[in-house]
Amino acid sequence: MKIVVCIKQVPATNDAKIDPETKRIVREGQKAILNPFDTYAVEEGVRLKEKFGGEVIVITMGPPKAEAVLCEAISAGADRGILLSDRAFAGSDTWATSYVLAKAIEKIGDVDLVICGKQAIDGDTAQVGPGIAAHLDWMQATYVMAVDSVEDKNITVKRMHEEGYDVCELQLPAVLTVVKDINTPRIPTLKGRLAAQKCEIPVWKPEDIGAEPDKIGLNGSPTRVVKTQPPEPRQTKTIRIEGTPQECARALVRELRLRSLV
Amino acid sequence: MRHHIQNKIYHVEILPPKQDSEKLEADLELFANKYARVMESGYCACITDNAMGNLAFQGTEMIQELDLPVYPEQVMIHLNTFHTKENLDEILNTCIEKGIKYLLVVSGDGSERLPKLKPSDIGAEGVESVTSVELLKYINREYKDKFVLGVAFNPYEPEDHEFEKMERKIAAGATFIITQPIIEKNPVVDKLLEKYPDVPVIVEAWMSKKLHLLSDAVGYTIPETTEYDPIATLKMLHKIYPKCGVYLALLGFKTQFDLIKDTWVSE
Repeated sequence: MKIVVCIKQVPATNDAKIDPETKRIVREGQKAILNPFDTYAVEEGVRLKEKFGGEVIVITMGPPKAEAVLCEAISAGADRGILLSDRAFAGSDTWATSYVLAKAIEKIGDVDLVICGKQAIDGDTAQVGPGIAAHLDWMQATYVMAVDSVEDKNITVKRMHEEGYDVCELQLPAVLTVVKDINTPRIPTLKGRLAAQKCEIPVWKPEDIGAEPDKIGLNGSPTRVVKTQPPEPRQTKTIRIEGTPQECARALVRELRLRSLV
Repeated sequence: MRHHIQNKIYHVEILPPKQDSEKLEADLELFANKYARVMESGYCACITDNAMGNLAFQGTEMIQELDLPVYPEQVMIHLNTFHTKENLDEILNTCIEKGIKYLLVVSGDGSERLPKLKPSDIGAEGVESVTSVELLKYINREYKDKFVLGVAFNPYEPEDHEFEKMERKIAAGATFIITQPIIEKNPVVDKLLEKYPDVPVIVEAWMSKKLHLLSDAVGYTIPETTEYDPIATLKMLHKIYPKCGVYLALLGFKTQFDLIKDTWVSE
């Protein structure tokens, strides 16, 4: 199987700052990490490769420093990475971003499966995976919690929803977005980290993937963000429960039930 | 382990680099230097396993990848329950291959990113989760006579519970005990020594001046304004617990390493 995993570098913070002019997240001076949901996508790609053979290619669109997340994915078992980086890509919304990623997937060629995390923790849109499927005109399944089988150019997955899950059969090539129930990502080994440090990441620009200028960056982005503001911080309250262990346990269960947590 | 105490061999904690290190090469070099100093001094290097739930590289992979020498009496690997079964066996087999025999088996702190052993992974029945007891049983069953297994003792936990756990740990095959850091004579540790006179006990000395971390470890708040002299405390522990070994937590290799050679003074 040739598997492409789309990943993203995101700020490592819950305290995101937004530029009032551009309405975009301020990334300067922030520690950046691999989007946590994408670690599940990488792991699933690697597991499928280990089971069925083939190759896992990780791709990301971002500034040069986004190379770090490609290396991290390689240290976790991906075979190679490709960075899509150019000033012309800047300002892309989810539609333009998924267009760029789809063009890169076309250029890679003969791809059987694309896997994305369900969403990125900075934008929280969950639109890029479905956008890639739309641009490629491939079948897609979102919120995938398990891959049941891959047979004869078909893949069967469980798709999570509020009331349980659907079992879906898709024809390959297809796009999946995965939730964290799908697996437990492995911890990169030191050997993997050291090997990843030596790997060379090719950088693709719009002309390398045949991207049309009016479909990328701000020009290719139909979304206009008129106002953005961080959510109100969650209010936390500490309750001290006193009494015998039995009384405390009963009171704790009562409090959890009141909040529908059990 | 008796041999360590009789020969005044310190147990020196070394933390492997964190997974998210941005200066991995430098951190690896630093680890290798610390390890080499411990080996040259004849002490025992104790390599932690994702201490405090921080993702770090494994002791065995550090030794393998950096090609560090292993003198069996001088290396101890911490092993907690936050591994996949495959990874656990890989660590244990690497220990055997490299000649590492001392393991400190602990439940561990864990983190969201770390997988946790399931009871079914290691054939543990009648339990809902894997603790150090189940892990000890597994190692003793599947790797019989390959390791010398130690466990942790926390004198700051409710006493009855901690002693009951210790009983199960000893029954599961633990042959030495390392305490949480103590900074003065501790009545619960005294009881431990009384209850297990034949089991070697190593008391942990807190060598850092970071008192907030010590507060976390001991479970009660030590005011930041407290005057704390790690070397003086270490000497005091030798006097109070002359029959115990000492584990040096967070030792400063630049400022303290050369000072410790004269601290283990017999009565």
